Amino acid sequence: MGNNSGNAYQPRPVSIIRTLPQINEHRLFQLKLEDGGSWEDFGHQPGQFVEVSIFGKGEAPISISSPPTRLDALEICVRRTGRLTNALFDMEKGSHLHIRGPYGRGFPVEILKGHKVLLIAGGLGLAPLRSLLLYLLDKRDKFDEIILMYGTNNPDNVLFKYELLGFFDRDDIKYLYSVDRDEEGIWKQYVGVVTGLFDQAELSPHDTYAVLCGPPVMYKFVLERLLSLGFPKDHIFMSLERMMKCGIGKCGHCAIGDKYCCTDGPVFPFTEIEKIKEAI
Amino acid sequence: MKVLARKDLPDVLKNWSDSYDVFAPSMKETGDVIFDRFDADTFTLEYGKPSLPQKSEFLPQSEVIFELKKGEYREVMAGSGKMLFGMRACDVMGMRQAGSFMKRDVTDPYYKSKEEGILKVVMACSGPQNETCFCTTVGSGPFAEAGFDLQFYDLGDEFLVEAESERGKQLIADGFFGEIDAAEAGTKIEEFKVHASKAIKEVPALKEAMERLRDGSVSEKVWDYFGRKCIVCGGCAFVCPTCTCFTVSDFQTQPGEGLRVRSWDACLFGGFTREASGHNPRGTQALRLKRRHEHKLLYYNETDVLEGLCGCVGCGRCSDYCPVHIGTLEVVKAIAED
Repeated sequence: MGNNSGNAYQPRPVSIIRTLPQINEHRLFQLKLEDGGSWEDFGHQPGQFVEVSIFGKGEAPISISSPPTRLDALEICVRRTGRLTNALFDMEKGSHLHIRGPYGRGFPVEILKGHKVLLIAGGLGLAPLRSLLLYLLDKRDKFDEIILMYGTNNPDNVLFKYELLGFFDRDDIKYLYSVDRDEEGIWKQYVGVVTGLFDQAELSPHDTYAVLCGPPVMYKFVLERLLSLGFPKDHIFMSLERMMKCGIGKCGHCAIGDKYCCTDGPVFPFTEIEKIKEAI
Repeated sequence: MKVLARKDLPDVLKNWSDSYDVFAPSMKETGDVIFDRFDADTFTLEYGKPSLPQKSEFLPQSEVIFELKKGEYREVMAGSGKMLFGMRACDVMGMRQAGSFMKRDVTDPYYKSKEEGILKVVMACSGPQNETCFCTTVGSGPFAEAGFDLQFYDLGDEFLVEAESERGKQLIADGFFGEIDAAEAGTKIEEFKVHASKAIKEVPALKEAMERLRDGSVSEKVWDYFGRKCIVCGGCAFVCPTCTCFTVSDFQTQPGEGLRVRSWDACLFGGFTREASGHNPRGTQALRLKRRHEHKLLYYNETDVLEGLCGCVGCGRCSDYCPVHIGTLEVVKAIAED
């Protein structure tokens, strides 16, 4: 786990290289290890998370937004929402904090190789999914067609806006964006819930893998749509969110049936959780 | 196998106290019996089922895991040179199941250091300690099969003493402990075990409930009923030998210094699963009670339950202490009758 102390709970010191404002109350933090270790040795995979500690404030699980193909910094995209994230937003370039990890089962990159990949993100769900998206793009020749469907509630809340705008210039990724509401009439793309984007995509379910990350309400509708389109159940992967404390399957908070989101997930094949009532 | 005269037990415990921090049942002025540092004046063998399992010796209700100083998290690791005298078999099974879980895949170093340091001496039960005991149904008692250093069988004027570990053998090497013919000891223990096991009543509803949970035929009305009654005190989890859920909090003690503490938590509390966004995947008390009982009876880990039947060890404390009668016994009965 990149932790040599033998104590799985031991946090490692990191500092902030820079903070990049995203949308209101959301920021991207670039981190540097301060204990002499490298991000290469850290060994994170797309879809994994870290436990972030701020002195005296506590510890919280945050997904990693950067791929292992970009090792200059570890990036975490954070919404200001509680005690720890409030303290994080008071920090700036050079501030010190701690992390431990990487934790959890990430996206199944080996399974995706050679196949078409449909990424479906809602809201802040793009934060973990971005690690996979950039990984796919950095190893573009290993994958077939890439389609990104991204929905937010309104045009002001599009994360990684400039990165996404850049995709307009690429012909090796198909991008479909939606907003639930567009009161000011400024949105040039689709207005409506993210499932509406399925009408704009030509999908071939049997050689495509669907990878989902979004708010709980999104899963039910997207799953229904994928299954009705004929996606085999074992072609659907989803990153689930749960309240986590320890990250190593001990504290019990993130249990889903007989699984723990922090160690068995956060990315689950749909086939593993479809029979667990409280999963989705 | 050795034999010890009953009258010599206090002297033996006194001797052991020279080398270990011996904790044994102690009768307090109020009439309560708790596990406390051995004291010949308050020591008692009439302690029935201890109010609490010895879980807190391995997973304290609250423990400092890191000291925060000069920008570093410094590990705080407490070992233990304790002896627990008089553990019950159900609690040993609880400790073993919890230990298996805490050391599986990634080892919890805090749990491990305490568990390894503690000497466990079991007092086998000669029958049920009260009407809520159901160890025979779940395979955890009335005597321990493994996981102890010594086990005492109370035969009246004398104890038969069984050593399971090297440490245990050392403890009974001194002159107080006499030799006994192996065949004779075997017969006496067999008799004790048969008599004790027969005296404890089986709870067929538990196995029925497990089957009903497995085939998914339990009505949500069962959980709704208990969910309306629950007062969310968390007591069932805190007295449970196999409940190990915890939370972690940081405290600033002065500028630049602080403590990282972990403490017991329970799946019965609404905040246990509430996410930062406010979304709560287990949003009602009915769902939380369902989770607690499904974890014990359906979603337990096969490896962690060892030779036991499930994640419940049949100590009956949740039924003893729940102020509104939502113990495992009441829940499995309701499921079986549903």
